[in-house]
Amino acid sequence: MKTIPPLCPEPETGPKYWRSLEQLADTPEFRAWAEREFPAGASELKDGATRRDFVKIMSASFLLAGLGAFGTGCRRPEEKIYPFSKLPEGYTHGVAQYFATSMPNRGSAIPLVVKSHEGRPTKIEGNAQHPDSNGATDTFAQASILNLYDPDRAQRFTRGGNTVARETALDFLAQSAGKFAENNGQGLRFLAERSSSPSRARLQAMLRQKYSQCQWAVYEPVTFDHHREASTLAFNQSVTPYYKLDQANVIVSLDFDFAGGEEDSTRLIRGWAAKRKIAKPTDSMNRLYAVETLMTLTGANADHRLRVAPSQVLAVAARLGAEIETLTGGSPGNKLVELGTAVKQHEKWITECAKDLVANKGKCLVVAGHRQPLAAHVIAHKINVALGNLGSTVLFHQAPKAYEISIAELAQDLKDGKVETLVILGGNPAYNAPADLDWAKLQGGAKSVIRLGYFEDETFQATKRANDWHLQQAHYLESWGDARTSDGTVVPVQPLIEPLFGGVTEIEVLARLAGLDTIKPHDIVRATFRTLSTADDFEASWKQFLHDGFLANSAHKSIAVNFNAEAANKAIEDTATAPAATKDKLEIIFHRDYSVDDGRYNNNGWLQELPDPISKMVWENVISISPQTAQDLNLVIKDNEDMNLQVPWVKIDLNGRSVEGPVWLSPGQADNTLGMALGYGRKETGRIGRNSGFDAYRLRTVAAPNFASGAKLNPPARTYQLSCTQNHWSMEGRPIIREANLQEYRDNPNFAKGMNMPEPPSNQPLYPNPLDELRKKPNVMHQWGMSIDLGSCVGCSACMVACQSENNIPIVGKEQVYRNREMHWIRIDRYFTGEKTDPQMINQPMMCLHCESAPCESVCPVNATVHDEEGLNVMVYNRCVGTRYCSNNCPYKVRRFNFFDYNRRPLDQLAGPFYPTPLTHTTDGKLDLLRWFKDPDRGNKPTDEWDLLKLVKNPEVTVRMRGVMEKCTYCVQRIEGAKITQKVKAGASGEVRLTETAHTIPKTACQQACPAEAIVFGDVSDPESAVSKLKSQQRNYTVLDFLATKPRTTYLARIRNPNPLMPDFKEFPFSSQEYTAKNGHHPADHGAPAAHPATEAKKGAH
Amino acid sequence: MSDIFPKRTNKLPGLVIAGALLVGTSVTAGVWYYFTPKYTRVGYQPKQPVAFSHAIHADQLGMDCRYCHNGVEKSWYSNIPSAGTCMNCHNQVLKDDPKLALVRESAATGKAIPWVQIHKTPDYVYFNHSVHVTRGVSCVKCHGEINKMDEVRHAKPLSMGFCLDCHRNPESQIRDPKDVYNLSLEINPEVQEKMGKQFVHDWKVNSSQNCSACHR
Repeated sequence: MKTIPPLCPEPETGPKYWRSLEQLADTPEFRAWAEREFPAGASELKDGATRRDFVKIMSASFLLAGLGAFGTGCRRPEEKIYPFSKLPEGYTHGVAQYFATSMPNRGSAIPLVVKSHEGRPTKIEGNAQHPDSNGATDTFAQASILNLYDPDRAQRFTRGGNTVARETALDFLAQSAGKFAENNGQGLRFLAERSSSPSRARLQAMLRQKYSQCQWAVYEPVTFDHHREASTLAFNQSVTPYYKLDQANVIVSLDFDFAGGEEDSTRLIRGWAAKRKIAKPTDSMNRLYAVETLMTLTGANADHRLRVAPSQVLAVAARLGAEIETLTGGSPGNKLVELGTAVKQHEKWITECAKDLVANKGKCLVVAGHRQPLAAHVIAHKINVALGNLGSTVLFHQAPKAYEISIAELAQDLKDGKVETLVILGGNPAYNAPADLDWAKLQGGAKSVIRLGYFEDETFQATKRANDWHLQQAHYLESWGDARTSDGTVVPVQPLIEPLFGGVTEIEVLARLAGLDTIKPHDIVRATFRTLSTADDFEASWKQFLHDGFLANSAHKSIAVNFNAEAANKAIEDTATAPAATKDKLEIIFHRDYSVDDGRYNNNGWLQELPDPISKMVWENVISISPQTAQDLNLVIKDNEDMNLQVPWVKIDLNGRSVEGPVWLSPGQADNTLGMALGYGRKETGRIGRNSGFDAYRLRTVAAPNFASGAKLNPPARTYQLSCTQNHWSMEGRPIIREANLQEYRDNPNFAKGMNMPEPPSNQPLYPNPLDELRKKPNVMHQWGMSIDLGSCVGCSACMVACQSENNIPIVGKEQVYRNREMHWIRIDRYFTGEKTDPQMINQPMMCLHCESAPCESVCPVNATVHDEEGLNVMVYNRCVGTRYCSNNCPYKVRRFNFFDYNRRPLDQLAGPFYPTPLTHTTDGKLDLLRWFKDPDRGNKPTDEWDLLKLVKNPEVTVRMRGVMEKCTYCVQRIEGAKITQKVKAGASGEVRLTETAHTIPKTACQQACPAEAIVFGDVSDPESAVSKLKSQQRNYTVLDFLATKPRTTYLARIRNPNPLMPDFKEFPFSSQEYTAKNGHHPADHGAPAAHPATEAKKGAH
Repeated sequence: MSDIFPKRTNKLPGLVIAGALLVGTSVTAGVWYYFTPKYTRVGYQPKQPVAFSHAIHADQLGMDCRYCHNGVEKSWYSNIPSAGTCMNCHNQVLKDDPKLALVRESAATGKAIPWVQIHKTPDYVYFNHSVHVTRGVSCVKCHGEINKMDEVRHAKPLSMGFCLDCHRNPESQIRDPKDVYNLSLEINPEVQEKMGKQFVHDWKVNSSQNCSACHR
């Protein structure tokens, strides 16, 4: 029977979800853009190469191909196999090995299990056995493996900028130790990064003992020390807070971006998400209030969000504190009331929020973020104390007393000429120290500088005087070390590979400088472990430690604290009210970047190409501004017909300093503020980070490191081209994301299905379902499917990097992203709804949904995309001829095409503007075409890139070439791997089914990385599997259900939990209101999916 | 008036036609053969750096395949033994034989022996040895009677068609796992059929013909 495709319902009264301001404006340009198969530029060759060039290249290629056929094509090259001469113990070629280790970050660590193929680490996973981890990782941990193979990392020891032998450098450290021993470390200064390593702490103590005159400074450009400092102040003992979000029913974030901006986001997201997953309408869930300046991931997931300038967060805290005091029967101090007057216009918001907190005494939490002044933290503690949250939602751990000075004090010593030898351990102060210190010059105040660094960066450039030494740092996957996770559990850092370039670790340098006998990092860590382990059998305990990846029962014990009201009140008294920001006196907020952190991941291609979760910008940072302020300042941000993001390039002045950068509208940002991400605009970096973004550090000073007021935005001089994934693959405002408020969900649990479109006028799917036939086959055991919970997905993007790492997905560069050719298999669609000044934001991870009746399959002329009998929509690269019909016919736009040989593209060509012609371009002094002819595998990659970057590839996944379509495979290599393992185990028996009870079902890479556990994969033919249970929930719905594509991946609708008493309460989420406005009925009016009359009639006829 | 073209040009059209036919035929034949899975390396028998004889070791001496290829039941890859494995015996047997000089050198210095690869699947094919040998597919099915070879020869095509022949009809090929390494075992076709059917049923053999079974 001929089937008529259903009409796609068009928005009648404007779009429902808008992904960008252009879409909200619904311009003709946008419509033209949205109706194309691929966005403009993606499918055309718009490069500088002319038709004539093209013919030239093609004819030359044919000539060479012809020659090749005569020369080599007739016989295959002889290949050699080089076996071991002596097999390493416990090694089987081809079987991956896993090692437990951890990635140290500032004050904590992420416990990891790292996969190693033939001695090279290839994939990072979280360690689910660790007592305070669910096996999740963040974007940085996932991407850190690429840093290991970074061809731009420091590869030599230098003195005065000239290469010296490793031994020479190490001898020098020993000599220095002798010298310091004589003068008690007179003039010796250390500048280190924050670390949780017990070994480093032990060595530091030994150094202090040996060299009584030495000083130790710690500097982090983005520091989370305020949490410890404020608790220490408020409780009169050295403690650090440990927040338990999973225990809190009400959470108030005072600029506390736990979903990505703070440390330990994986743990905090897990805690928050635990109370967002509701299985049935009667379940309760937590409520999140966010007070913030920028639109952050936390704000996007909040039930109530208050936009205020960064300096006003303290005022909100004060007002909230005063309300709580009043409500709990105390009397707020005058100062709190005085501070709170600045936010009088938000009085009702704060009062109702306070009432909600009081109603949840002991089960709520107020936290101030790392950018906020100590007073804001102290007020938050005061509230937590008043509400009895201590011991339930916030615990305190003993923090060792820090014997350290600040970078400003160190700078003073340098200025005063007190410093003989400055040892810089990691970090990059010449780039990221406060601008008023002028570090690059200041560093010259020391007679000699010894610097341990991972890159030859800005600080390396400042460390080139005759007496300056530069030591290359080993990657954590090459090092022995240790750390503590935030709960205090001791975790090992153990190497998976010998240092690729002979680098040294921080603790080794310290041990050598201390003149110790034990200088091998392994021995140092073992010696430290001896002091930590209480087991009788040390060897067994050490082995267990390395095997498990943590020391059991080594977590900090929570300690009882007493609130020191006097000190707290004093801290509050000492603060002054900040003046309100205006359009001529803007406030700048400097924030940690979701992609490159503080700049440490600037040369990491995966992170550079990871779209910012809010702005969806890649490869650079922008000056974000609220739409209202942009209008006030007469900034016009317009697009041309290609959705070409030409934005004003402006100069920002702040107290005599200035930076220049592109401005970008950020819906939901506080008015009269400017957001600037740190970590870009590097002067000295590798081939990836070069020319990306602007350097916001140039405005940061010692006095105002987090936010500063009084900035002026000058009228734009020119426009600038941005690359952004924001407008790509729009879904045209259909009910793709479904959400409801908790009350509405309780009243009408089937609201999500109520948004289904009428079914097509046929009970046959539009495309044949190959599984109908395949299901009849015996011995088909599994049917794979996935469920994604939009209620707990925060949009952190860890899944994107995990997928990139697992599936050998290339990076394409800024210029190719601008042409809409990014390759991510999983993307996170970000939608805004409502007014652009204060919108609601929603995330939706989107990848191949593995439709049973897949539209892509029926249009492929070469059967390169077909179904397998377990329900996977399989993509066969070796069959694909690149017609791109499949992508054209995919309603979800999840297929990715290799327009170029991205895996073989030299890194310095990523910036564009386009590929140089191989006829004239030379690499390493040789013509590209000849290089390619001699070694087609490697293409034109320079030797160092090729040798290193091929090591990161997963050998279980094909590396795709130019002209091939690709997309999410549900990690088919893991599924097949698990099936093979089970079959090998089964041998001559029938025990071949993978089951959840036996834990043999594999996890996909995205699922494994997800801290919220929002992605669940499994066997849908097993009704007891987790995924089947999720799919049977009432919140379950299918995206674009009316196409009857029957996707295997379905979504759980998002539930918001707003407080009805709040002034900004909306009975229905904006998206739901817009749905009603368009369709003329509310989801609640349809209890069950609407059935098309034609379908009904036909069913009746049977 | 003299001829513009000499007389011999009269033959030219014929030559052109003959030439075109010749070229056309060879191109067709070439594509027919080289561009299909039939173009495999059957018969490929390169000279190896050490004259190792499977016939002597496996057949005459009766060594188990897994003594040397010990990873075959665990890995996708059936490993080439290390020189150390050879030296387990050859530090006693033929310990000064000049033919084994390379093996001794490798064991002493750690320098690998450059064996020439014979069996190879393309990069986009993920063949797994372990699952085949543990589920009753004998070595002989893909490698031929390697226990009779003095110098290893590529015996079977190993093309996709070859794989599918068996995957479509596993009954005709699988045997009891304990006979997998018995390369000389002759099984009566009727017995094979009956036994094969039994095994496919009992072990729930699902020799997948989906693309995802081998291409990832």
